[in-house]
Amino acid sequence: MNIDGTIVAEALTKVFHTTARARGRLSAVRSVLRPERVAKTAVDAVGFRVEPGELVAFLGPNGAGKSTTIKMLTGILTPTSGRVEVNGLVPYRERIANARKVGAVFGQRSQLWWDLPARDSLSVLADIHGVGPQALRERIATFDRILELSEFWDTRARQLSLGQRVRCDLAAALIHDPAVLYLDEPTIGMDVVVKEQVREFLRDQVEQRGRTVVLTTHDMTEVERLAERVVLINHGRIAYDGDLDTLRRTHADALDEEADLEDVMRRAFGAGRTSPESPEPGTGSAQLNETQADRNTVTSAA
Amino acid sequence: MIDGQSTTAATLAAPHAFGRRTRRRRSPRPGSPPRGPRQPRRAWLAARVTPLTEFYQAGRLASALFMLTARGALTYWLWQALYRSTSTSAGLNVRQATTYAMLGVFYMSFRTVNRWGSRDTMTQHMLEGTIAYWFLRPVTPRRYYCIRATGELAYGACWAALAYGICLTAGVIAPPASAAAGLAALATVGLGLVILYYLQQLIDLACFWTVVNNQLVLMYEIVQNVLAGALVPLWFMPAWFVAFDGWLPFQGTLNIPLSLYVGRTPVSVLGRELAIQAAWIAVLAVLATLIWRRAAARVTVLGG
Repeated sequence: MNIDGTIVAEALTKVFHTTARARGRLSAVRSVLRPERVAKTAVDAVGFRVEPGELVAFLGPNGAGKSTTIKMLTGILTPTSGRVEVNGLVPYRERIANARKVGAVFGQRSQLWWDLPARDSLSVLADIHGVGPQALRERIATFDRILELSEFWDTRARQLSLGQRVRCDLAAALIHDPAVLYLDEPTIGMDVVVKEQVREFLRDQVEQRGRTVVLTTHDMTEVERLAERVVLINHGRIAYDGDLDTLRRTHADALDEEADLEDVMRRAFGAGRTSPESPEPGTGSAQLNETQADRNTVTSAA
Repeated sequence: MIDGQSTTAATLAAPHAFGRRTRRRRSPRPGSPPRGPRQPRRAWLAARVTPLTEFYQAGRLASALFMLTARGALTYWLWQALYRSTSTSAGLNVRQATTYAMLGVFYMSFRTVNRWGSRDTMTQHMLEGTIAYWFLRPVTPRRYYCIRATGELAYGACWAALAYGICLTAGVIAPPASAAAGLAALATVGLGLVILYYLQQLIDLACFWTVVNNQLVLMYEIVQNVLAGALVPLWFMPAWFVAFDGWLPFQGTLNIPLSLYVGRTPVSVLGRELAIQAAWIAVLAVLATLIWRRAAARVTVLGG
């Protein structure tokens, strides 16, 4: 059975330990002498399964745990507990093997070298991934067709615009032809034209190339255009996992006819108190218990 | 994997075709087995990053040239002035002392690259969260660090060799005390650079716990330069200081090779000096391995 492109997470949990600042007199001194350690659960028993060639959007307010989840899937972060398997590998244990099969773009964080032309960065990354010159030329030519990289790939990364840099980063993430691509808010801060270019590229990667893409975003247009399946994460837990239509229907009663996806999300996160149990992955089972009082405590997803 | 989805020949022949500057690989001989995908074991191209970064900016090259020239000239004049009223001090004449000090300056040019401007220091990778990418490549972060450091040292070595050649030709510095001393110095310089690499690595690894290591770097620079004998040759220091320094790895980075070069240390003790350096390399390598392991387990990516 081909497991490339499959992502499985079961009861995935990540707890961060930080030092809390003491209150009261001489708090600064006490913080140094006897620091108080505080545990914060960023991701709490999250479970889902992503099939090969699927594009899934992780949505949630800032600090909901989306990025932490993605970083556990990539193998960068080690989960506190739970099970994660990507392409049949445990990412944080088999980092090298995992790195050959996944690519990632973390928002505005670039993996290009700041003072090198993008072309040189891509060559170095190709060498790191063991991609030969012929394969590199072919892949870059493919990326160039949609992302128009050749217009600026001789420019140093520091002189590229945000949109140009992210397009180069997308190419960098896919230079080794990975089965799974993680994108953590890839279009943040971009203009409409570049956003559309990136969306077209992602659609091509999923539909034509069969890549699995996991995306986090706050851009509802992006979600509507790209994702058939969405996973809502709030307070580190999965609040909903299913398709957009089911999510819309779940909240149809509470919203007027002209309500857009952003209203649905606002409603979902505002009214949604996560159930202690994660839903069945991909079933669209809404775990959004109506609790009006919670509305004011949760930030909008938009 | 999604291999084999190549583009058309027409696309490849486009005027902007990527990689036209890369060298063509020879086609396999007839009858030989087909070549599989290149294994990502080496990744040595990353060693080019630092030299390329410097070469793409004339200002950086000019700055490195100026710093090396200014430091070298000031050091030369300083030691000439110090020896004006005496011909021998602490057993060394003016030529030996000047040679030692000048070589110390050249040696420091191995660490001449300032990565801060290129957003490429460990602190910046931690602060900006780009350290994440180090863990998403099919080479370990430790190996990637080693490759980058090698490129950086090679670049610094070019400057050091250039300065050495010019100064030796101009008669500003003396040649090695003997051919054997020259070879001994060369051997210990190599091991000294490895010690320097591990020390720098440990300072950088602190970022996994402290995020920012700027103050640590400043302290390290002072300690390294003083205890290695880069600022003042160690034989001018009190006996207790030299004895204390003997228990630390720093003098292996500079004092040992330069003392051999100027003839302060006889070549007969080369074996002992190499053993000291090798022992420190082993200790530091084990320490670095353990810390990398801990660092990889606790890596966090700041900023969501």
